[in-house]
Formats: sequence, structure tokens, C-alpha cells
Amino acid sequence: MKKKVIVACGGAIATSTVASNAIMEIAKKNGIDVEICQCRISEIPSNLDGADLIVPTGRVKRDFGVPTIPGTPFISGVGVDKLEEKIVSVLSE
Amino acid sequence: MLEAGAFVINYILDMGPSVMLPIVITILSIALGVKPGKAIRAGLMIGVGFVGLGLIVGLMNEQLGPAAQAMSDRFGLSLSVVDIGWPGMSPITWSSNIATIAIPVAILVNIIMLVTKLTHTVNIDIWNIWHMTFTGAVAYAVTGNFALGILGVVIHAAISYKLGDLWAPLMADYFELDGITSPHGTSAYMAPYACFVDWVIEKIPGMRDVDFSADSLEEKVGVLAEPVVIGFILGSVIGFLGGYNLQQALPLGVTMSAVMVLMPKVVKCIMEGLMPLSEKAKVIMNERFDGEQYYIGLDPAILLGDSQVVAAGLIFIPLTLLIAVLVPGNRVLPFGDLATIGFFIAISVAVHKGNLFRTLFSGSLIMFVTIWIANQTIPWMTKLAETTGSLGDATAIAALDQGGCPITYVYTQALTFENVAGMIVIATTYIVCLVFAVMHSRKRAAELSEMDGE
Repeated sequence: MKKKVIVACGGAIATSTVASNAIMEIAKKNGIDVEICQCRISEIPSNLDGADLIVPTGRVKRDFGVPTIPGTPFISGVGVDKLEEKIVSVLSE
Repeated sequence: MLEAGAFVINYILDMGPSVMLPIVITILSIALGVKPGKAIRAGLMIGVGFVGLGLIVGLMNEQLGPAAQAMSDRFGLSLSVVDIGWPGMSPITWSSNIATIAIPVAILVNIIMLVTKLTHTVNIDIWNIWHMTFTGAVAYAVTGNFALGILGVVIHAAISYKLGDLWAPLMADYFELDGITSPHGTSAYMAPYACFVDWVIEKIPGMRDVDFSADSLEEKVGVLAEPVVIGFILGSVIGFLGGYNLQQALPLGVTMSAVMVLMPKVVKCIMEGLMPLSEKAKVIMNERFDGEQYYIGLDPAILLGDSQVVAAGLIFIPLTLLIAVLVPGNRVLPFGDLATIGFFIAISVAVHKGNLFRTLFSGSLIMFVTIWIANQTIPWMTKLAETTGSLGDATAIAALDQGGCPITYVYTQALTFENVAGMIVIATTYIVCLVFAVMHSRKRAAELSEMDGE
């Protein structure tokens, strides 16, 4: 089944593009079929339908009822391996 | 030989930014070891971004411009120049001739400052070099002097990296982002004003004890917070105020929704094109400057998820419009930046440790200063858009981010002396606020090490 991942940042332009590309590659490598929904953080609630994972590029304190993993390592380059593991484990469920 | 070279360069420049920058980025990417196929694709994506942006900005100015003018005429306001926002201004900046060498220049300034220990901020964010490029591009568009343009990039870059150092303790204690900072953009360069405001409020009995935050505001306003809805409301309300009937006002509303929704979709193509280059730069900078004494400089977007930043960003949508009416003689109609006001105040929220009451004061001051400066930079923004072929049918454009930047303003004023009084006022107040920022940063760093010690 296709997994829906919401990737969000402030303006849906810069950091979320970086994170989206990274998640696409991770999914391809692990044979997971994903659909990326790239949006602004303020647009997360409207895109929640059928979402399996939310990856905001910064810390989001609000609980959306969907697994949320901060994607900041994709931007900084520090701790990417650990983040990759977490994402794969959520999406493989 | 030299003549032939100059001919080739001019020939390429004459084709405009949608051709020039793709070629530059493709060559730069290949030089850094990106595979040619991938590099060419990246270059073309940048071209796509420019073409798309032209369409959207054209639509915005064509439709919203006359409505804003009509509204202003009816109410005796002067808000006739549309703020195209950072989604509009950044591509225009990238299409300046200065941008061709701004990326290497900004990185070089960073490396020199790191090696000489003038900064601890390692900027790995290529996209936001546009903020530094902007100061140079404006100076170049206004004076026509390329060297002064490059000097503008150097000065803005140097100040940015120092701001990155200043805000690092706040990143650690408020945003809980250890070893990370955000040196660029409105958030970083406007936060010194918040340090001053915070100091003043601390001195006032009664006021210093007021503290409120608004965790649930976002949930309460619901879809009202979404750009697609903001665009519709703003468009139709301005239409009605401009004397449009229902049949004219609603289409304007939907068109402005379209601008809000489509703008990031086209501008992100430019980011996609910069990706291979920025990935390489990230690897190189991280390898070279690795360790505890360095802060990694990232996009301020990582701060925008904080609930107090979100809440303040919402409150400041109507507040910014109100301030725009109150600034004497203001001609700028805030629009393109409204959906991301959070960028202006994110670090200020951290300065006040999430106290929304104080953020209201500092944010109002920040937006007042921004709008006041953005007014005077209308001719410069228009000139920049004109020289880069991005003006379209508009006669004037404005941008709060970053046409309201004190650094850009003071630098170009110092070269042109158009408004000496304005330059002196902004320069002095900004320097005073920077002193408060240094004091504030030291205080927070001391608090932080005390906490670690316990």
C-alpha cells in the first residue's frame, strides 16, 4: 500500500524540498511506495487524511495524532542515519 | 581572446536570468563533482522556477495592483504598491548578475572568518545566501558598480555570520536546537530590536510580570490560518473596499488564493535546482569544520513550527495590515509576506522566551521599521526587478522581506545619499539595538552554562 508522508516547513519552498527528496530516496532504497505531500506547517491539518507520517523540518510541538519525526537532520546533515532508521521503521509497519 | 570572452558573456546575459542562471549553476555543479546529467537537470529546474515565478508575480500585480489602487483612492490611503514578499523577491535576487558569483563569495567570506576565528557559524544553507546577495544586487542595480555590489554581499555575509554566533545560545535554550543557529533572513537581522524592547520591558514594574502564551490559537482559528484562505479573504476584501461588486471581488479573491498556493510550487523548482550544489557544499563544510565549537547555520524555516512563533505569526497578519495603515505616508500593501510573518519574529520570540505579550511590542516595532524602510526602497526594488527583467507590466513593486532590511538600506543609502537623515536614524538605532543584542546573547549564554553546571 502507498504510504502518505507529509513534509512541511515554513514556506513549502526551501527546507521541505530538501527533506522531500531525501525521503523519496530512502523509500526507493527500501522498496517502500510513498506519496509525498509537501506543504507549509500551517497546512498540515488540512492534509492529514490518510497520512502515515509527518516530517516537519523544525520542531513542531502540536500533536496531530499521526507519527511525527523532526526532519532537521536532513537539513543539517548531522544524525541522518538515525533519522533514516526511524522513518523506515514507521513506514514499514 | 578577451573580447571574444566578453562577447560570449554578454550574449548569455542578454538571454535573461532563465537562461543565464541555469548555465552558471550547471557549470558550478559540475565543477563540484555533480554528474553532468544531474547538473543539467538542476540548471533547467532553476529556469523553470523563473518562468513560473514570472507568471505568478505578473498575475498578482495585474489583478491586485489596480484593486489596491482603487481601495487607496476611495479611503484616502496610499497603499498602492503590492508587497511581493520573499517568494517573489528571492528569485528576482537570484536573477541579478551579482548572483552569479555571490554563492562562492559568501562561502569564501565564511571560510575566511572561520579560519581567523571571527565566527563559529558554519553556514551550509545555500538558498539563504540570497539574503546576502540581495544587499549586493540592490547596490549594483542602483549604482551600476559591480565591485560595490560584491562588497555589499561581503558586508551582509559578515554581519550574518556574526548574528549566527549571537543567536546560538537562544537556539539552544528556547528552540532546543543544540549546535545549530540561523544566521540569515529577517528573523536574524530584526531580532536585535527585540533585545532592546525586552530590556525596556524588564525595567517597567508591572509590565515585566505580564506573561502569556497562546498554545491553542492555531487550533482555534483552523483553516483561517491557511494561505489559501488568507489569500481569498484579502483579495475579496480589498476588492470590496476598492468599490468592486460581488461579481468582481470574488474572482479577485480566488485569484489571490491561487497566488498563495501556486507561488511556493513554482519557487521550489529553484530550490530543487540548487539541491545538488547545496548537498555538495554541505558535505564539504561539514567535513572541514566539524566539532563542538561550531554552530551549523540553517534556514530559519526550522524555527517556524514552534507554537508561540505560529501564534505570533497569526496575530501579526491583521496587525501588520493595521501598522501599514498607521506608518506615515506608507505606500506598501503587505501581501506576499503575510503568510510567513513568522520569519520576521521567530528569533524575537526566543528573545522573549515565548512570552507573547512582549512579542507583541517587539513585533510591532519590527514591522513598523520594516514597512518604513520598505517604502523608501520601492524605487530600488523596482529598479532591481527592471534590470533583471522581472518587472512585467507593474510600474512599481515592494517587498517587506527583504526590502525592509536595515543592513541593505544603510549600505545603499551610504552609497547614494538619497535620504541622509533616514540613513542616520536607522544606522544609529540599529547599532544601539545590536549592542543590546550582544548583551542579551551573553546573558543567555551565561544562563545556559549555569544550567549545564547544575
